[in-house]
Amino acid sequence: MTLELQLILLAWGTLVGLDLVSVPQMMIARPLVAGPIAGAVLGDVSTGLQLGVLFELFQYDILPVGAVRYPEYGPATVVAVAAAHAAAGTLGLGLGAVVGLITGMAGGMSLHVMRRLNTRAVHRASAAIEAGDPRVLELLHAAGILRDAARAAVVTAFGLALAQMARAYLAGAVSPHGVMLLNIAAVGAALAAGIAGTLRLVGRGPSLRWFAVGVMGGTAVAFLR
Amino acid sequence: MTRAMPGRPALGRSLLRLFTMQGSWNYERMQGIGMGVAEEPLLRDLRVAGNGTTYRAAVARGAHFFNAHPYLCGLAVGAAARAERDGVPPEQVERLRTALCGPLGSLGDRLVWAGWLPFTSGLALIGVALGFGLPAILGFLAVYNVGHVALRWWALRAGWQYGARVALALREPVLQRATALSGPAMALVVGAALPLVAQYLSAGFLGWSRGALVAVAGGGFALLWWARMVRLTGLRFGLVVLALAALAGWLWP
Repeated sequence: MTLELQLILLAWGTLVGLDLVSVPQMMIARPLVAGPIAGAVLGDVSTGLQLGVLFELFQYDILPVGAVRYPEYGPATVVAVAAAHAAAGTLGLGLGAVVGLITGMAGGMSLHVMRRLNTRAVHRASAAIEAGDPRVLELLHAAGILRDAARAAVVTAFGLALAQMARAYLAGAVSPHGVMLLNIAAVGAALAAGIAGTLRLVGRGPSLRWFAVGVMGGTAVAFLR
Repeated sequence: MTRAMPGRPALGRSLLRLFTMQGSWNYERMQGIGMGVAEEPLLRDLRVAGNGTTYRAAVARGAHFFNAHPYLCGLAVGAAARAERDGVPPEQVERLRTALCGPLGSLGDRLVWAGWLPFTSGLALIGVALGFGLPAILGFLAVYNVGHVALRWWALRAGWQYGARVALALREPVLQRATALSGPAMALVVGAALPLVAQYLSAGFLGWSRGALVAVAGGGFALLWWARMVRLTGLRFGLVVLALAALAGWLWP
């Protein structure tokens, strides 16, 4: 992968990371969007779509309410696509999942660190905030956004480096059985997370009946195709 | 005493700032700083009163602790700014903000995080599984954001319109109906998406590998469902299963 492509992916991962919480929350941070666009950058939309769908299922396991801590799957999907792209074919899915899940975990931890840094900055400026100085408010806010952009860039860069290492050391070293097992683990875990997360959202109320109707309809269409 | 709508530029500026609402999210004031930044353009008319002390006091109050759904924060921004301009006592403005946190958080979570977002994302998953590719993704972005931007704009305008009586805005029939419909619609669509996505992702698996996939997915679901108390998440489960798969692959050349 050329340096130019890596830089474009770094920029895309940064935008995706920024979208998750800070600006503008238009859902380019969803794996389903972040993955295919990364795939399009690499000229490999189908890998981007596959990994986008896979990580979207992991995303269903998360409900981002209040101060809850959660993994960050947007930049994770971008770097997963980068890892999978070089290791073409079915090998890509498992390899991408390994790189993506580790990056997702790092992204979640980085969000917590950034929020603590924001807290410190706000605490330091509390006198000026209580005096109602709008300039201080705007500066604090802008600094928070810049901090998040830097955080997203660091997470994406970490993931891209991890993808490079995985390609260099794992891609050729895994046996065909190992490849298949990694793929099974990746898809199986994603489906498990997606189903469990959805059922938690649906709950035991009247929506459960609609969920059952949807599953039956989807299964019927899957059989007919 | 009531005042007319502020100029469109003020509301527009406030709306634009609302898109950055969580940029300075922190554990002390949560969305407070973002709220203050978004409310400030609506308070500028107060600068002339009392040598700017009224304005500064209102800006400071705007930046106090706040936490709700980000798309609905505009309702609190508009309502608090309107109350400040109407000369409502400061304690009452504070009480209004505090009272709005819970309802706006709960309503937004049900309407967006557990409704509109999984509903539209489920439609996109179905689109991808049926072979529509990138257009399904672009369609998701367009449709989702029509609802997203409309909700932010409605919230800000309704907050400004109702001021301290903002609870009335939350009882609007359209909002009630949307909240009631979003859960079942989401359940139906995501329910339909799951089998199609399973088929899409398992297309490359044949023979024994299909059986193994069903075992991992089924066992994983059971573990994630029953072991919630021990904080087993999808991420942790995925990492453990991938590590086990790598070990098994190393032992089985």
